[in-house]
Parts: sequence; C-alpha cells; structure tokens
Amino acid sequence: MGAPSPRSPRPEGAAAPAFLLWPPAVGAAPGYRALSHPQGGTRRAGVMTDVHRRFLQLLMTHGVLEEWDVRRLQKHCYRVHDRTGAVEELEDFINNINSVLESLYIEIKKGATEDDGRPVYALVNLATTSVSKMASDFAENELDLFRKALELIIDSDTGFASSTNILNLVDQLKGKKMRKKEAEQVLQKFVQNKWLIEKEGEFTLHSRAILEMEQYIRETYPDAVKICNICHSLLIQGQSCETCGIRMHLPCVAKYFQPSLEPRCPHCNDYWPHEIPEVFDPEKEREAGPSKVSKRSLRSRQH
Amino acid sequence: MSEQSKDVCDPNSAAEASNSEVHSSPGVPGGLSPPASQAATLAGPESPPLGPTDVPLASPPPEAPSEEGDPKALQQAAEEGRAHQALSTAQPGPAPPAPAQLVQKAHELMWYVLVKDQKRMIIWFPDMVKDVIGSYKKWCRSILRRTSLILARVFGLHLRLTSLHTMEFSLVKALEPEELDRVALSNRMPMTGLLLMILSLIYVKGRGARESAVWNVLRILGLRPWKKHSTFGDVRKLITEEFVQQNYLKYQRVPHVEPPEYEFFWGSRASREITKMQIMEFLARVFKKDPQAWPSRYREALEEARALREADPTAHCPRSSVSED
Repeated sequence: MGAPSPRSPRPEGAAAPAFLLWPPAVGAAPGYRALSHPQGGTRRAGVMTDVHRRFLQLLMTHGVLEEWDVRRLQKHCYRVHDRTGAVEELEDFINNINSVLESLYIEIKKGATEDDGRPVYALVNLATTSVSKMASDFAENELDLFRKALELIIDSDTGFASSTNILNLVDQLKGKKMRKKEAEQVLQKFVQNKWLIEKEGEFTLHSRAILEMEQYIRETYPDAVKICNICHSLLIQGQSCETCGIRMHLPCVAKYFQPSLEPRCPHCNDYWPHEIPEVFDPEKEREAGPSKVSKRSLRSRQH
Repeated sequence: MSEQSKDVCDPNSAAEASNSEVHSSPGVPGGLSPPASQAATLAGPESPPLGPTDVPLASPPPEAPSEEGDPKALQQAAEEGRAHQALSTAQPGPAPPAPAQLVQKAHELMWYVLVKDQKRMIIWFPDMVKDVIGSYKKWCRSILRRTSLILARVFGLHLRLTSLHTMEFSLVKALEPEELDRVALSNRMPMTGLLLMILSLIYVKGRGARESAVWNVLRILGLRPWKKHSTFGDVRKLITEEFVQQNYLKYQRVPHVEPPEYEFFWGSRASREITKMQIMEFLARVFKKDPQAWPSRYREALEEARALREADPTAHCPRSSVSED
C-alpha cells in the first residue's frame, strides 16, 4: 500500500497532510469529515462502514490472526452487515482500512511466521516507543524478564535463547525479587500470550511480538539487530551465508530460491550451503487439516 | 450504587450518530452526548448548563453538547472543579498545549483503552490519567471526548462510563448484536471451548455446578487440576481465578458443607455475552445430538431468543453460530 512519504509519528504544528484538515482550535474531530469528502490530499482516504468496524473490533480482540482466519473474519463481517455486497479482495480491504487508520498512527500489519512463512496479521501501534502493549499486562519485574530474554534472543546467533541463560539473569531484574521457579512460570505466561515461542527448552520471539515490536526493537538495539537481505525486515530466525554473512528469513529463502536449481548467495554469489525450505502453500495447509502443529517447519538453526 | 449508564441512546442510534457527519455543533443528536457528558462528570464542568464553573480551562472545546448530568454527577463534577480551581489559583494557568499534542494524547488514550479491553482488564479512570493523560489532566475532557469520537467512528465502539462509583469505563460495541462474533472463530479459541464447556454444564444442571462435577467433565478434555496443560497452563487457576476475574464465572463456597466445597455459577459477563441458544448449539456439536435432546433447556433457550428479538427488533436472527463454516 502506498504510504505518503513523511511518516513522522509526531506531527508538530500544522504539518499534517492536507486531507486531514485539523483546524487549530476546534474540539471535535474534523478529520472524519475527510472520510466522506475524499478530495484533495495525497491520496483518497477510505470509507469506514460497519463491515470494517466490526472487522477491526474482532481483529483487535484476537490480537494476532493467521491469514485464513482473517479471511473467515472478513466474510463473517460481510455476512453480518452487508450480505448483498461483494466481498472485497482481502488486500484491498485491509489497505482501505489502513488508509483510515493512518492518521491515528496504527496499522493492520502483515507479517509471516519465521519458521514456515504462514502469513499473520495484527493491529499494531506505530507510535510506540516501548513495549507498551505488554506494559499493562505484566509487573515490572516480569517486563524486565521479557526485556532480558529479548536481548539474549537478539544477540544470539540462532535467534533462540536457552531457558537456562534467561533464568540466570533473574537476579538482575528490576522490581520485586523473582525466584527462578517463578521466572519459569512467567516465561510460560509469555508463551501463552503469544509473545514468545518455546522449542525444546529454548525461546524465541512469536510472530506477534515481531510484528508489534519491530519498530521498538530496531530503535532500541540498532547495532545488534539483524535484517533480512530480501525483505529488509527484522530477522530473528533465518539462514546466513557462510562467506559474507548476510541473512535471510526461511520463507524469504524459499521464495527467492524457488525457481533456481543452484542456489547462490544474492550478495556474494557463493554457493548457498543450506537446505532450501518449501514455499508456504495455503492450499496444502488446508488439506492437512486445521491442526496447527506445523510438521514442515525446519530446524531453524542453519547457520 | 446507581450505575451511571448514559443509556439515553441505544446502540443503534449511536452507530447512526457516528456514521453521520461529525460536526462540532451543539445540536448533535444523543449519540454524542453520552461520551461527552461522561467526560464532563469526571474532568470538571465547564459549560453553563452545569452551573457556575470555576475552572478556567485554557483551551476549551468551543462546542458544548447538551449535558444530561444527574445530581450526583454534578456534585462530583463540582468537587472536581473546585479541586482544579485550587490548583490553578496556586500558580498561573499553564499555557495551553498545541492542538496537535492533544490529538496525540487522544490517540494514545485510544490505544490504551483498546489494549486494556483486549486483555479484558478494567479500564479505570485514575489509571487513564496516570498512565496516559499525565500532565494534560486539565484537558482530560477534550482528550476523552476526542478519543470517544475516534473509537465510535473507526471501531464502532462506545467508551462508556459503566460505574461512576468505581470510575470504571468499558468499551461497548455500538454495532448490532454480535453473539455470532464470539463463536465465529470458536474452533481456534481454546479458552472459549473450555469456558463453554463449564457454562453448559452449569446450564444443563440448572443450578451451580460443584467443582468436582466440573473436573469430571474436564477430564474428558484430558485436563486435571494438578497437571499443567500446554495451552491452558494452570487450568485450576484459569477457571477459579481468571475466568472469575473476568466475570465469566462465579466461584463460591457451598454453604453448610464440611469439608468445604465450591461450586461454579455463570458470571454476569457470561450472561451478557453468551446466549442460551449458543450453549444449546455447543452441546449439540459436542455430543453430536440434536439440541432438543435437552427439551426443557431448549425451551428456555427459545424463550430467551424470542425475548431478545422482541427487545431489539432491528436485530437479525442469529443463525447457527457455533457450527460455523
């Protein structure tokens, strides 16, 4: 979706785009006038109907959703409010909503699970500069435990931090003293709330956390952060070239090397030494049944 | 304690109000007054209809939608106003913030409220002030009003003061009844399945369900009170604490029984959000029977469905929601 270029999260004075029309001293929100008069401005703002509103409500309720759930949700919203209308193509539907959300600095963001490339969607706040979504959920020492785990994950080579290493940092936490046993349970809470994923005693970030906190992570750990060479987004798990060190997400590897017989590093052209995963196919996933346990997810430690 | 529910407008007209052009005129129909007057009761009075005001709000929103305060609200507002007055006489009034800053605060508050609601946590006014509004407390009312407008316009949600006494807000859906929503994705929401299991047990029994009975049923799902589950975690804690905190269940001691035993009842939130017909459909799906296999319960569910339809004639018939595609 084309975004107007100046994306500064803090509008100073009257720097807002023309179509938002924020006259200085009025208390109401004249910006919504723009919704019914999509004239001028850098691009047409979309129109919100009850279909879109319900969709937003439910997306917010669920936090993060996989693509097929999102399609179902969309169909459901149409059925409730606008049975006769044609169901808009999902991408356009979401772009439409995002054009309205833009002035609020929130966005329906699309990402993918890092291990097998399943597309996921979440409503994220672009203006956050902290782990604010979690802040209301957890106590100070729990939040700090998450931050410590986050740091370990980002610094690690594999994108995973071992339970032991995280628990060893328990003494350094801010706030109330936490015992290791407690910390184990807090880590499980993070898993249940979809902030972390656990695999064989090690923890990495859930796709939800990546979607919601990418901006925060890039701003807070600018040196340690890894970026995918193909999609240029935050990278936690992936494959790396042994010669030049560039990294790629597993689903990005799959897409990039799909047609080629001899995979070569896009940067240094050296032979790509890792197994190339399959591209995610939603149809195949549907046939396999709704059970979410992904058999095709490769062991991500391929560095 | 009387609930400060500004139910002057029902959800339908609120939706209409938010659909129509939002101009800053006092003649806005009922849909706008509730959020504004709620804000007024808490952030200090300002407009003449509320009586003499002492608060020199530096950047007052020029429009003053007709407020329908009740005496208690006015008193509270007057007290708040006096408090503000004391503050502002102590030092010269601070410069009004740039409108863009108020707008930004409104956006922060909107997100804060959405996240609290997502986590099913209480939206407490003092928390709102402490965590979001902060030093803009004087302009709390206009911030709150703008946030309400955005929530109504974009999300179709009403930010409603549910209890003046405890100063709690909640986000109420301003759209048509959507019992369907909860179960629209039900097979992807294990929590709902667990909760529905317990609620249907209570419903079928027709009275409270003893904890032992509940565990017998949960055993079918492979859940035990002492075992941690990969999805639910500590199941016992979930059903006796979390679901209770969220008002989906009530967990009470059975009177006059020794050694102490506990039983579960439907919580107020469950009664509001989940219909008996949904329970019947859930049972039908789980036991692969017709809902009429529980005849007296099915009759009750029909009764309730009819009553709901009569109460809100614009609502369309809820179809088979649990057996979604």
